Amino acid sequence: MSSRDAILSRIRTSLAHDAERPLPPVPEVWPRENPTVEQMAGRFQRELEEVHGEVVRCAGMDEARAKLAELAAQESWDAIGAMDRPLCREVCTALGTDRPSWARADWTPQSMAALSAGVIEADCLLADTGTSMVACGRPEERLLCYLPPACVVVATADRLVEHLPAAWPAIAPRVADPQLRGEFVFITGPSRTADIEKILILGVHGPKRLIVLLT
Amino acid sequence: MIQENLDLQGAQFLKRETAGLYEPHGSKSLGESAERSSKHNREIQAEIPHWQAWRAAANQIKDYAIANLDKLLVEFERNITARGATVLYAENAEEANRHVLRIAREHQVKTVVKAKSMVSEEMELNHKLEAAGIRALETDLGEYLVQLAGQRPVHIVTPALHLSAADVGRLFQEKLNEPFTDEHRRLTDIARRHLREDFVRADMGMSGVNFGVADTGTICVVENEGNAGLSTSAPKVHVALMGIEKVIPSIQHLPLFLNLLARSGTGQKLTTYTHLFHGSTPDRKLYVIILDNGRTNILKDPAARMALFCIRCGACLNTCPVYRRTGGWAYGWVYPGPIGSIITPHLLGLDKAGALPFASSLCGACAEACPVKIDIAHQLVHLRHRAVNEPSPVNSILERLVWKMWAWAMCGPIRYRLTMWAVRIGVRLVPFLPWHPGKLGAWTRGRKLPEVPKRPAFRAWWRKHGSEVQP
Repeated sequence: MSSRDAILSRIRTSLAHDAERPLPPVPEVWPRENPTVEQMAGRFQRELEEVHGEVVRCAGMDEARAKLAELAAQESWDAIGAMDRPLCREVCTALGTDRPSWARADWTPQSMAALSAGVIEADCLLADTGTSMVACGRPEERLLCYLPPACVVVATADRLVEHLPAAWPAIAPRVADPQLRGEFVFITGPSRTADIEKILILGVHGPKRLIVLLT
Repeated sequence: MIQENLDLQGAQFLKRETAGLYEPHGSKSLGESAERSSKHNREIQAEIPHWQAWRAAANQIKDYAIANLDKLLVEFERNITARGATVLYAENAEEANRHVLRIAREHQVKTVVKAKSMVSEEMELNHKLEAAGIRALETDLGEYLVQLAGQRPVHIVTPALHLSAADVGRLFQEKLNEPFTDEHRRLTDIARRHLREDFVRADMGMSGVNFGVADTGTICVVENEGNAGLSTSAPKVHVALMGIEKVIPSIQHLPLFLNLLARSGTGQKLTTYTHLFHGSTPDRKLYVIILDNGRTNILKDPAARMALFCIRCGACLNTCPVYRRTGGWAYGWVYPGPIGSIITPHLLGLDKAGALPFASSLCGACAEACPVKIDIAHQLVHLRHRAVNEPSPVNSILERLVWKMWAWAMCGPIRYRLTMWAVRIGVRLVPFLPWHPGKLGAWTRGRKLPEVPKRPAFRAWWRKHGSEVQP
């Protein structure tokens, strides 16, 4: 008998006398306040700043473009990698013709280690935790979230939702799609640790700065 | 499994358990940190008016999951396999290690970067990989420190809770040839610099699994440092280690558990990174190893089933007055604290770890803190009951004799008086003893005996005042 069958049969023997029970419903215990977009944007900013992330509110795409160019100049980001998505394309146009480089399949972790910043696109923003949900198909998209020392998330305000359970009706069917590959990651602030004496330090292995450009 | 860690019996256990009590510095910082965490968690939880309803719901969902464990495991396996992942089952740690080594050989792996996994601690995986000539690096900062120091984690969430910044500075000086510093920022940067090299070069990454979602075949891993993100996305192979009990029925249940885990584990509203992995891609192969390693023993004992509900948040450790004083090593194996005291005897056997359920004051703080409402105190009592009736370190002839004598003495007024008279004389002789033998000695060496009244104090009082007491 294979280990699989041995384990499953031991489980079945132990559970043989169990009464059938229904699948517990998803508890309706989430407070819903149905806030406005503006309220959610404010909440998102407060919550993300609380965990040392940064939010730049932009009045339109032009301002977002200008902000990103300003950040890049200020921080002298010489190598910027970006997800090849419509929103990233739009925001990055002000950086110049040769920049940024768009995530490609021939990128390796070694080559990506030289990037000073990554630009990624959030599918959804959770207001009550300051969280960005990023859907990454390919490995280099995933690495853009974790490898460069600075991470810039671009998103539009219409992607704001109240909280995780409110976002779930849109996310769950996508996760359930058998064709889906790669990773969905929920990012709440820059990389952090408190492993030495419970003292909070930002940027241990992942990004030291997390900046959300919210248009 | 390291042999010494299996020795949880009698005097060895006692020695280990009391060792922390005589190291004022180590145990103090650990206790204070644990207490701070506990307090912080309670504040975060207090913001949720529905906290108790959340706990009750999570308990129900876990109850369903464990009662349908065989079906859910098969469903999980089917859905994740459909996404190109390979699922392997392991009956014990040894078989799981064999799986990992075979995968490593198949992909010509030289370096492994590991995110946190308690299952890998059960497997003693790092030793096995090193023995096969494969470099295995813990990448969670706390685990990295503990690995460099050649120690075991003291806590399941914050493994290096016992090390001060100066300890870490000395460790880096000795092992990594770095100039000494005790600044947290600089220490963290040193670890970042060293591990970055390994992340981008490693051939294989490993992680644990916080939740295996049956109806979608999703693996959920939570973390704060970004090391799990890097370990799972940079190397070409990702091996995820999962205990059989980690499966939850539906993706619909995930938000609830994510909220409970983050708030109880580190006192965050959500961890910095919550990863949902969906199978293999052409250039990233995913393996999942599902491990039993004694967990089906728990299923065999219906009264003990709740021990399988644990989501490894560490809240019961932080709140436990015993853990705060002794630290994690006292518990002798991978899982410390109250939850360790109920899991370890099941996984290793009562004959080896039957003394652990007695290392508790049964105050019940652990059960209050548990986000999935495991009745830890009742579980401890249940295991005590089993330990005295089954082969275990506490089921000895001496132990039984002592309790027999106690029962005899308590069952008659004359016997009782006689016994108390003998005890009074005995206790007064203790200070004159030239040596303090055995387990009783461990008590008298560290403590002053209270003054013993010459006459039975209560009886004397009763003779004088008994008539004044209203019935």
